[in-house]
Amino acid sequence: MTRRARLWVLAAGLLGTAALFAAACLRMPPFGGTWHPYGDRAVAAAIAQRTANTVSSVNFDQRALDTLGEESILFAAVLGTVVLLRRTPDERRVAPQPASVPPALRRYAITVLPLALLIGLYVVAHGQLSPGGGFQGGVVVATALHLLYIGVDHRALERVRPVGLYELADGVGEGAYVVLGAAGLLAGSAYLANTLPHGTFNTLASGGTVPLLNAAVGMEVASAVVVLLARFLAQALEIVDEKTVDEKEEKEKE
Amino acid sequence: MDRLLPLIVAVPLLGAAVLVGAGRRMPRLAAETVACACAAASTALACAALARATTVVSWAGGWRPRHGVSGGIVLVGDRIGLGLAALASVLVLAVLAYSWRYFEEPPRGHSGAFPALVLLFQAGMCGFALTGDLFDAFVFFELMGVCGYALTGYHVEESRPVQGALAFGFVNSLGSYATLMGIALLYARTGELGMAAIGRQLDAAPERDALVAAAFVLVMTGLLVKAAAVPFHFWLPDAHAVAPTPVCLVLSGVMVETGVYGVARVHTTVFGGPGGIPAAGTRRVLVVLGVVSAVTGAVMCWQQRHIKRLLAFSTVGHTGLFLVGVGLLTDEGLSGTCLYVLGHAGAKAALFACTGILLARLGSVDEHELHGRGRDIRGIGLLFALGGLALAGLPPFGTGLGKAVVEEGSAWLPALFGLVSALTGGAALRVAARVFLGTGERGREEEPETAGGEEEPETAGGEEEPETGRRIRLAPPPMVSVAVALLAGALAVGTVPALAEATYAASSAFLDHAGYAATVLGGRAGGGQPGHAAAAHGGAWWTWTGAALGLLSAALAVVLAAAAVVGLVPSRGWSAPLRRLHSGHIGDYVAWTTAGIGLLSLLTLW
Repeated sequence: MTRRARLWVLAAGLLGTAALFAAACLRMPPFGGTWHPYGDRAVAAAIAQRTANTVSSVNFDQRALDTLGEESILFAAVLGTVVLLRRTPDERRVAPQPASVPPALRRYAITVLPLALLIGLYVVAHGQLSPGGGFQGGVVVATALHLLYIGVDHRALERVRPVGLYELADGVGEGAYVVLGAAGLLAGSAYLANTLPHGTFNTLASGGTVPLLNAAVGMEVASAVVVLLARFLAQALEIVDEKTVDEKEEKEKE
Repeated sequence: MDRLLPLIVAVPLLGAAVLVGAGRRMPRLAAETVACACAAASTALACAALARATTVVSWAGGWRPRHGVSGGIVLVGDRIGLGLAALASVLVLAVLAYSWRYFEEPPRGHSGAFPALVLLFQAGMCGFALTGDLFDAFVFFELMGVCGYALTGYHVEESRPVQGALAFGFVNSLGSYATLMGIALLYARTGELGMAAIGRQLDAAPERDALVAAAFVLVMTGLLVKAAAVPFHFWLPDAHAVAPTPVCLVLSGVMVETGVYGVARVHTTVFGGPGGIPAAGTRRVLVVLGVVSAVTGAVMCWQQRHIKRLLAFSTVGHTGLFLVGVGLLTDEGLSGTCLYVLGHAGAKAALFACTGILLARLGSVDEHELHGRGRDIRGIGLLFALGGLALAGLPPFGTGLGKAVVEEGSAWLPALFGLVSALTGGAALRVAARVFLGTGERGREEEPETAGGEEEPETAGGEEEPETGRRIRLAPPPMVSVAVALLAGALAVGTVPALAEATYAASSAFLDHAGYAATVLGGRAGGGQPGHAAAAHGGAWWTWTGAALGLLSAALAVVLAAAAVVGLVPSRGWSAPLRRLHSGHIGDYVAWTTAGIGLLSLLTLW
């Protein structure tokens, strides 16, 4: 199609979609009403299961199967990235050169790193009590580790980040969720049932299986993000075309 | 059994976790064994659940409805959902068996990656087939998509797989966003996410207004993208032509069909009642899109010389027929479509399996370049030709039975089904005659392609790399036996009366909007009584007219193939405008997808 034809087709489609969606939005329930059938049900169930964070109760208890699916999507996406960004026969690995970092940036990164790591772990551990949980905390933990790359260099990051270990943790996190679900079956209830004692409301040990599933997701997300970034960093810093290497070598000879 | 239903999804997920966790240390043989064991366990579970007489309802986490409402997620193993899960699992097993040592040695530390992705794909398809929750369906739909994109782009060394995977990813993601918006609209109206629960809330205060129509259009968009209905189909030939051949078995054999299943499931459970979309509206949408897809797919299929692309377009054509069959909204239409899907999965997967052998042996999938070069593997040629005849609807293949059952629905259907079957089957037979017999001319190389004065490039398929790393001399036994087993499966679908009977009973239960809600929310035993319903309606089985029409379309396919081989049928030129629309430009595809949403709205609101 020519550019003009493409734009016309797109414009017609967008116009139709927008009209449809606008008409639908006019028929939505008014904002700020008191009718929340799902919310009421979820809050009541969360309190009954002694899980202070209702969102976590929905994610890891009432709709835990969705979370298994979502965790698996991330798992599959990272695995797909690992496969697609693998080193192909016509590419070569070169050791990245150390880079100089402004001292202020270095100081900042070194100070913030342990703090960020701690916050990440806190967010994972308190998922059943306060906003946050495995998904959010896991990303914070993974980000914290990468402050080393910003503050020092790639080699320092590689020293604290053996990718093989994180791949293992990625698989263990995913597998742990599946197995914890099966534990519900073994306990004589349904798959992913919250069969552990619910504990005292608003304490760390409350919520039954919620903190465990939450920890599994936290582990999976943190390691998955580390593996994901490792692949992209390797692609950007280490892996080069044979051609580029040859050209470089020729230049050096000259 | 009720409690074990989620394991059909969980077992492959666990297998994938093991393969990724231990992937670095695992030898290839161990990785492939683990994958096969997990896929087989899941298949066995699905078949065991199928063997039960009633629908299996399983509330994840034990969140059964109280006073008819629940905040949990339900898995519903009715005949058709379980049947689809079983079909997906069987095809995944076929893929794992077929690719057993098929790919060249994977890079060090990656031996588990391919089987792990295939297992995740299986989990996504099974989850989608079994879930009775609209949002959960979306989650598994996405899982299926993510694995599909990664598997399509598996051969990153070349640029075309990456391009195909990108088109696949872009168009399918757009469709998913539309579906998610539709789910949000339904949630805003009903406060529910379960399909049965949404349907019941909509029926409680029937308001067939813009919101319901918009939700219908948006939810259907994502499903129709997956089902590759015109104008949402552009990604499919691009992706299927470049995906590794073993992956094509699943993509064409069952993934596209899950889209059709989703359309049927969501229509009956959510929009099938008095508060949903009038049956006439749904019928119009599905039949119109189905007819257009069927004709487009068949015509484009006939034009191709890249064999994988040819088979991909034939999938577009056949999926169009499935949409028509489902769109009739009758027991016969649906049960015929189910049989057709089963038969098609066997035939199409077998054709892809044979194409993989060609690619591994001769390093090409170009019909013209391969001319006569398959003379010494006539056995494979025979399988390929049988697959082509099955596509053409030859009795007693399952495709023929499904076609015959659906065709009884209306007087104009035999013409459409016959045309599409003859064109797609004829194209496959033409390939078989040229490649394996060497009949006809070698094909005009570089014939000047003057449409609008400019040269048009054509996807030929000559420059494909063998996926085995090096060319093989003899086809390994697993590859050949997979092709044979798949064809035998397609044959069995059309020759086992019990299967057709069960399918018919399952279809009437499937289309029962109120019955589904009662089974899921009220705990009523559902699922229909096999035998009883079939006896009352005569069931879905061969009739003399059906068999005759099948023979006719198969004969027509043979005639078309013969005429093409001797050069009597102008193969190109007249369809240049249609071909030019399939430009490979992702921007075009996105524009057409958006336009498709507009088209769907028009057809729904007519």
